[in-house]
Formats: sequence, structure tokens, C-alpha cells
Amino acid sequence: MTNETKIEAVLTNPPEVRRNTIPASVDAAVDVVEAAISTEDMNVYYGDFLAVRDVNLDFARNEITALIGPSGCGKSTVLRSLNRMNDLIPGARVEGVVRFHGTNIYEPEVDPVEVRRRIGMVFQKPNPFPKSIYENVSWGAKINGFKGSKSEMEGLVETALRSAALWDEVKDKLGDSGYSLSGGQQQRLCIARAIATNPDIVLMDEPASALDPIATLRIEELMLDLKNEYSIIIVTHNMQQAARVSDHTAFFNVKLSDVGQRTGYLVEFSSTEQLFTAPKEKDTEDYITGRFG
Amino acid sequence: MTEVRDTNVHFHQELAGLEQKVLSVVDRAEHMVEMAVEAVTTGDIDLANRVIAEDAEIDRLYFDIHHNWTYMMARFQPLGSDLRRMSVLLQLNATFERMGDQCVNIAKIAKLNEGLPRAERICSQIQEMGDLVRPMIRTAIEAYVRQDLDEARLLPAMDQPVDRLNANMYQEVVAVAGNPGLLEWSTKMLMTSRALERVGDQAVDFAEQTVYLITGERSEFNEEGLNGSDHDTSG
Repeated sequence: MTNETKIEAVLTNPPEVRRNTIPASVDAAVDVVEAAISTEDMNVYYGDFLAVRDVNLDFARNEITALIGPSGCGKSTVLRSLNRMNDLIPGARVEGVVRFHGTNIYEPEVDPVEVRRRIGMVFQKPNPFPKSIYENVSWGAKINGFKGSKSEMEGLVETALRSAALWDEVKDKLGDSGYSLSGGQQQRLCIARAIATNPDIVLMDEPASALDPIATLRIEELMLDLKNEYSIIIVTHNMQQAARVSDHTAFFNVKLSDVGQRTGYLVEFSSTEQLFTAPKEKDTEDYITGRFG
Repeated sequence: MTEVRDTNVHFHQELAGLEQKVLSVVDRAEHMVEMAVEAVTTGDIDLANRVIAEDAEIDRLYFDIHHNWTYMMARFQPLGSDLRRMSVLLQLNATFERMGDQCVNIAKIAKLNEGLPRAERICSQIQEMGDLVRPMIRTAIEAYVRQDLDEARLLPAMDQPVDRLNANMYQEVVAVAGNPGLLEWSTKMLMTSRALERVGDQAVDFAEQTVYLITGERSEFNEEGLNGSDHDTSG
């Protein structure tokens, strides 16, 4: 099967999602102070290769958290581990705990498809489906078992497109292909698709690195709007972007281990203001001022 | 351990150049304090005019530095200690420009006082204030250049005798107030004392900026030179 026919098949017959393998929320009082998602002693391997080690992070709710660091530091690996996207890579293995609503998302009874519905993802390169603008957004609701009427679905699509600051630009051409949009619009379409499933968290992997500066600023503005509703975790290699949009920032670095592996690790996690004006660790200071080991 | 390699060489070279320029302004300001005190205590009008001319050069450097600073921020968007250094240099540029302005105030007083009778006791106190303030500026420069926290924290103690002399100056003026010929001259010397006291405070500000650059924490010195409450940028 070609990719297009695979996508067609998935769109026609959305996969069955096992529901409620993760509680909707833990005790309400606990929920307020609990992080949106946490990692506890997380190690991620690709086969025998330890890609990133000992990650302990609490990602705050309704905040933007940025992951930064040099190539190979494991920041994208960490991001993909947060919604089990690494499951799709042969040999990938996660040790430790990723806690979401009190549940370790790597427990066997947890359905990875449900994880990815509740923790959405936006990628570096805009990747709309070869379908209409409307279907790109409605698909998310369909796989979520949406059983409402046509007009209810139309309302949902409009809400998602409005939230993604795209509605005014596409409302008169919802039947056009997603590919007919500009790069920046395609990326906002992908954000609309991600939020149409009503997730708690949106993961963004370099969401603006393929876009021009104006489209980049629109995505950043959108992120700042979206954090009222969602918790956002972004990987970016643009430090100024992290400084502009995020509330907290985690800096990862990479070190050659005793067995000759380049393994990433968390160096410093603090408020973005602290990290970019007066970091505590010398490695962070060296990195953000352009001095590399 | 691997050697650290600077991938931001152009920015760091420009930053060093900007820093040198800002420090050249405070060197000039220190020299201006010496000239202004000499002019006002001896009535040397030529010297007073040289102070005023020197300030024109400080003003030119002030705008030049501000222009460079803005353009560097636009191009490099520095972070971490680079950002703190840029922030400190902007603040120091303004502080040193105001030091120059205080010297001009003193030089203008020297010209206004031309031909008036003088009181040696007040002159020697103004001279003493100048002798206390210039080493403060020098110490603040050295603390910055050497990035020496202990040296920077000496400044508040060095400022105390300056504040005391300034507070006493009012009594000195009252003491000569019975002599109408001296009253006009001495009230202007009260303003001179106040200008020198401000230069002392500006040297203390300079040292506070050095502490921020080194530690990343903004605070104002209290009298013992320890970090006190939030930084006050007024005055």
C-alpha cells in the first residue's frame, strides 16, 4: 500500500480507540497542583543505545515549556516519549515513568492511541492529510468516536479552526485541499487538527522552523493564546523563540559516555526568565552565549 | 573535558569594543571631576570652559554608544551573562553621561562665581570631596574590570565621608551667611557640594551594576555594602 492509500484507509475506517485507559482526572483537589505531565527517572533507548538518561521533569499546566539544547541532546526524544510516539520507532524503549493524570502512560493496559488523542502533537514540517481542509480537522473528532450530527461536526471544525487562528482565512474554501494552503497556514491547520480531539497537552516539535518569520510569529502568538486551554511543550533550536514564548525552559546537553555513546541529559530546568538571564549552571551559560564544549 | 569553543566570536568582539568605549567615558568623567573641582575652588575660568567642552565629547560618545548598543541588540539578541553585560553597559552609559553633566554644573558655577569673594574653608572642603569621589570612581572601574565583588562592595563605605561633608556644607554656608559678600558665592558652593555628592552616588550605582553583572541578582547596597532591597533606579 502507498502512503496515500494507507491514509485513505485510516480516514475511511478510523481505528477503534480503547477509552478510559487513563482517568479523566485524579482527585480534583490534587489535580490543581499536579503537573500536566511528569517524567520520573526516564531513560530512553534506541536498541542498546541510551539516547537520553535520568530525565525528571514536571511540566506545568497551562504553561508553555520549552526544551532546548544542542543536536543529539535528546530533546526531541524526550518530547516523543511524552505521548508514546517513540513506540512507532523499532527498538525504541522507555524506562522509568511518564505520569499523566496519575497514570504511567507506559503501563500495558494503557492504549497508546488514547494517549496520543489526549496528548496531541505538531511536527516540524506541516503534514496535512491529502484531504480537504474540513476533513483534516474532522478526522480527529471522528477517531475520537464523535457521533454528533453534521451541523455539530461543522461547529466543532469551526471552533478548532478559530482556535488555531485560521478560520477567517479558510471559511470560504473548507472543501479545498489542505495542500492548497501556504506553509504557515498548513501548520495552523495541523494545530487545528491536533486540538480538534480536545487534548490536555499539545507537543510541538520545532513547529516554526520550516516557516518564514511572519508565519513563525503567528504560530508563536497562537501558542500564547492556546496555553489558556492547553499545556504546551515545545522543542525548539531557536533560543530566542524559547525566550519569547515559554514560561519554563529545560536545557539538555549531550556527553560522551564511558562506553562511547553520546547520551543526552537534563542540565537545568527553571523559569525561562531565570534560565536566559542568569542561569545557574555553567553549561547552560556557555550554551546560551554561544560557547560550546 | 573538552575545550569550550566560542561560536559567537563576532558578537563577543563587538561587546568588548562597546565595553571599552563605555569605560573610556568614565575615564573622561573622572578627569572632568578633577578639573571641575579645581576650576570651582581656584576660579580658573579657562579650566571651567575645558570641562564644558569635554562634556560635549561625552555627549557625542553617549549617542554613539547608544546607537551601537541598539544595533547589536537587533542583530545578536544576546542571552545569559551577555544579556546582563549589555543591560549593564546601557545603564552605565547613562550614569557616566550624567557624571559629565554634574561636572558641567560645577564648571558653570565656577563661571558664575567669577570675581566674588571666597571662603577658603569651604573651598578646602569641596577639594576634599573631590579627593574622595575620584578614588571611588577609580575603585568602581577596577572592580568592574577585574570583576571583583569584594572591591565593588567597598563603594558604600567610601561614599559615607562624602555624604557627611555634603550634609555639613549647609552649616558652613550658614556660618558665613552674616557676610553679604560671601552669601551668593557660598550658596552656589552648596550646589557644588550637592553635585559632588551625586557623583559619589553614581560611582556607587556603577558598583551595584558590577555586582549584578557578576551575580545576576539586582539589589541596592545598604551602608555596609551588602545587598539590600530592590534596586532603585531613580535619581
